[in-house]
Amino acid sequence: MTTLNRSQETSKRASVARESALSVKWARRREVAQEVFRNPLTVLGLIIIGLFFLMALAAPLLTEANTPDPYQSPRDWSNISVPPGEAGHVLGTDATGGDVLYGIIWGSRLSLQLSLTVVGFTLVFGTIVGSIAAMRGGRLDNLLMRVVDVFLSIPELIFALAIAAVLGPSFRNIILALAAVFWVKYARIVRGEIIRIKQAEYVAAAKVTGDSTWNIYRKDVLPNAVSPLVVQATLDMGNVVLIGATLSFIGLAQAGLTEWGAMVSAGQSGLLAGEWWLSTFAGLAIVLWALAFNLVGDGLRDVLDPKTEGR
Amino acid sequence: MTLLSGSLAADFGGTTDAVVALHGVKVHYPVKEGVLQRVTGQVRAVDGVDLSIPRGQTLGLVGESGCGKTTLGRVIAGLVAPTGGDIWVDVDATQHSEIERLRGVATEDRSPEDQASWKSLESNHRLGSMSRDKQSRYRRNCQVVFQDAFSSLNPRQLVRDIVGRPLRVHKEASGEDLDRRVIELLERVGLDSQHLLRFPHQFSGGQRQRISIARALALNPEFVILDEPTSALDVSVQAQILNLLVDLQKDLGLTYLFITHDLGVVQHMSDRIAVMYLGQIAEYGPTADVFNSPLHPYSRILRDSNPTLEDSLDTVKWDLSGTVPNPVNPPQGCRLHPRCPVARAECGWSIDDVLTDAERNTPVVFETISRVERSSDFRATVSFSEPEQAKKFAKRIGSLAAHEALEQPIRLDDKLVEVSFNEVSEAQLQQLKDGRWSSCTRTQNLGALPEL
Amino acid sequence: MARSDDWLLRVDDLSVHFESSKGVAHAVDHVSFDIYPHETLALVGETGCGKSVTARSILRLVPEPPGSYASGSISLRNGDGSVTEILTATERTVRSIRGDRISMIFQDPGKALNPGLTIGRQLAEVFGEHRMSMILGNAGFDPEKPSRTATKIVQQRAGLLERGVYRLTHLRAPKALQKSIDDSVMEALADTGIPNPRKMLGSYPHELSGGMKQRVMIAQALACDPDLLIADEPTTALDVTIQARILDLIHEMQQRRGMAILYITHDLSLVRQFADRVAVMYAGRLAEIGPSAEVLASPQHPYTQGLLAAIPRPATPRGQLAAIPGTVPQLIDPPAQCHFASRCSFAAAACHEVTPQLLTIAEKRDVSCHRFDTASRIGVSPQDMPSAATLGGVASS
Repeated sequence: MTTLNRSQETSKRASVARESALSVKWARRREVAQEVFRNPLTVLGLIIIGLFFLMALAAPLLTEANTPDPYQSPRDWSNISVPPGEAGHVLGTDATGGDVLYGIIWGSRLSLQLSLTVVGFTLVFGTIVGSIAAMRGGRLDNLLMRVVDVFLSIPELIFALAIAAVLGPSFRNIILALAAVFWVKYARIVRGEIIRIKQAEYVAAAKVTGDSTWNIYRKDVLPNAVSPLVVQATLDMGNVVLIGATLSFIGLAQAGLTEWGAMVSAGQSGLLAGEWWLSTFAGLAIVLWALAFNLVGDGLRDVLDPKTEGR
Repeated sequence: MTLLSGSLAADFGGTTDAVVALHGVKVHYPVKEGVLQRVTGQVRAVDGVDLSIPRGQTLGLVGESGCGKTTLGRVIAGLVAPTGGDIWVDVDATQHSEIERLRGVATEDRSPEDQASWKSLESNHRLGSMSRDKQSRYRRNCQVVFQDAFSSLNPRQLVRDIVGRPLRVHKEASGEDLDRRVIELLERVGLDSQHLLRFPHQFSGGQRQRISIARALALNPEFVILDEPTSALDVSVQAQILNLLVDLQKDLGLTYLFITHDLGVVQHMSDRIAVMYLGQIAEYGPTADVFNSPLHPYSRILRDSNPTLEDSLDTVKWDLSGTVPNPVNPPQGCRLHPRCPVARAECGWSIDDVLTDAERNTPVVFETISRVERSSDFRATVSFSEPEQAKKFAKRIGSLAAHEALEQPIRLDDKLVEVSFNEVSEAQLQQLKDGRWSSCTRTQNLGALPEL
Repeated sequence: MARSDDWLLRVDDLSVHFESSKGVAHAVDHVSFDIYPHETLALVGETGCGKSVTARSILRLVPEPPGSYASGSISLRNGDGSVTEILTATERTVRSIRGDRISMIFQDPGKALNPGLTIGRQLAEVFGEHRMSMILGNAGFDPEKPSRTATKIVQQRAGLLERGVYRLTHLRAPKALQKSIDDSVMEALADTGIPNPRKMLGSYPHELSGGMKQRVMIAQALACDPDLLIADEPTTALDVTIQARILDLIHEMQQRRGMAILYITHDLSLVRQFADRVAVMYAGRLAEIGPSAEVLASPQHPYTQGLLAAIPRPATPRGQLAAIPGTVPQLIDPPAQCHFASRCSFAAAACHEVTPQLLTIAEKRDVSCHRFDTASRIGVSPQDMPSAATLGGVASS
């Protein structure tokens, strides 16, 4: 009978369809990735980031971890302030005989720790706050946004400085301070995006299907709000290290810590005496890290621009 | 309060069954100003609409931007809550007349049978009083196709998920069964299984609209609201989609509410038409009648403004003057009267009209007004800084159509001008002939559209 | 092809290409037509047919990457009989033509107006630029020997300091200048039916309705009495009652000033009312061109026929609109054939192999369709040709 055959055929097509659904989604992601790789600057940034990540993860393999605290450079007291290339110290030593290369390598772990923790927390917390504000609206929105406004009225650096100073000088407190300050940015971005998206007709269409607010948020609102967040998060991976370095430069980290900012600070006094290697290499590390993430962030922004998205 | 015997909601367009009946539906948005967000007025997007949507037919809802037709569509779809009025669902003529009868009886005066009857009607048919179950059933039964097919489809979802979503949400199907049903829906609207796993941006405008329609049909609704479904499409694509909609209506026995500003399309698609202006219905009737012999100046103007390929280029064309009034403060009497080419004394002239006229046409005089003391919307004393300007103002009113509406001659007293118009109540929609309704005061009095 | 020599603007074999990641898109493909003085020519077609790109090419407004003028010329006849080649002229020449001899109004008036300046200020810039001598004269200056500062003030290019100094050193001149500027702006605004021009001078665009903004744009475009006005879908974004009034206004201004209008639209019903001639475009090419009444009453190209049949009319039974099957082809690297062949009910082998040329089938009526051509002229065998067509008794050439 023809009806039976037709529905059998439909079923078959349906099962084929389901198998390829996942591959279609991945195909799309691959397309986006290809777009990203098309920009040579973005690729450069990705390479640099890759190298830093490798360095950070492979630190114990590259150099022997110092005891008791791997984040203090092993002191070679017989070779203080040695220029690069001498006495087995590829990048030289600092005023206490600490190996600069060791500092750079283990400093990358700290940078990774700092950026991932801060960005991870601020992204999640900021998104939650921004989402609540935008989805609920009304007085709650007003209240939350006024809180955000207060935070934003204080310059980020000074705010972080104040918090870190109050909490006491330590790397962990730098992380806390930055997290406390940076989250508002994401709250604002998310709120703005959600308010824009709520106007779109597909949200109204979803409501007409009878779906719950949570599902609409999950399936319609959030996925479309993600792009600017991804871009901002990438840029912040770089900026957080920059500001964190500034804070430790001022002295808000423990003494002698293999944190790039602290190293730049420690090497300052030596600059006049012509001992350039400590500050320079540490500074270079900071610059490269921030630059790499900025390049990738910009590249992502171009690709994820809504104008090209809706082709 | 609406005249019960003359409510448009009772007009079932020749059928015995209405999918939805609206009584005095209002949607007002508060206007908030200042630091403390005080409410200074209400935007009257929909301002008292009685309407019934006959089952199995297409009702066209026409008007220009700001008339409230989109908002009304969203109220019926359940996307926007009305700030006033009732919405009744699935009522037949008997039930409806019972509802109207009971509305006319004050709650205290109702007999126990009346009260029981009312309760029963409410819990079975009134949106807001029905059980959760029934309410959900109405939502499923009433679906919407939106205008801009690009923004009405989530750009990050596959067609399969977009069209299958209603089924998933209401737990009607899942897994392989879901896919099968989605393919069936796609085929019904002229697409097929190869489109299942694509994203919206991979389709043309016409195809996206088909996807939208497929989604709307997923739950087998009886009633579909089409909000400007073809306005963003090219003419040739529009023809395809309109043909599809007509076929679906025939095959599935659907009722359509077709909202649009395109007169050619609405004329083609609708059995009956409601013309809206500034939040209210100006005219209602069978399509051909409303177009060929309109009973409201606004319908006539809409028709005349719409260039077609047929009409002779010599017919006298009616014209609207001025601009759309502020929806926060609509004109008194008939809302069209400040712009209407045939407005006369009985149409609702008020103080606001002469002031707006002065602002627009005699700005020099307008600028010299120092104070306006109103005792009502129709009576006021206007103070000027110079007697010369006051005289000009009084003279100007004398030259307007509004002067016929004066209750007594204008009193000019040095720098003061006392103006007092006849009080006119709000224009009401009335049935003039069988099935033909108009809210134009003059047409109601004359029994036909006034001459230019 | 039917062409006489008293044209105002001649578009000859124009092709505009766009670079894209998928290839080269032929947005406009060998299009030729003339615009005569004082006439209204409507350029009609659906989305993507190339009408907007053609219009912008006339003012050389197509961004040149990714666009490029792949072939052809656009010639503007000057008052003294000489001809300016727009596509090859210097940037300076083109800029002097823009606004002065050829002007343009756009679909969305909101986007064409600067939201940060008052209407008075914006229009003053345009008027100052193009009506310098008149403004100076009215203010009591000698138009032949204007002082530099006065000129700059009229052009709205004088800074605060300069203006302040000028005000101190010249007693009544600055006021006279301002009044002269304001007067000419207000006159132009009143001309377009704006009720309170003085109030409009101090208003910002966001305070105005769509219809008002469009009137302002028309005033701006007509500031210097151009010979040709290009109107790119000027009323698509407006309500139908406002649309009627704006179109009447444009029409009225045309009568008074005698300019020609190139009217871009997708709405054939408007063509009937306002255009003398109509050119129908499809997929970057001209399908048909002729007097609008004739083309609408008896369309010759299958696409025009399909388009007219698809418009909902009272007489058409519901659900039986004659929809054109299929979709518009891609404009990327198009094959050498008739672009409409895949959707045409008359299509034959020749239609898929040879690009049709624009043929004159009657006085002032051109069609590009093989049905009006002969097998021998194209170079195919007779059985590959579609059924021949004649225009109501006039045999095809």
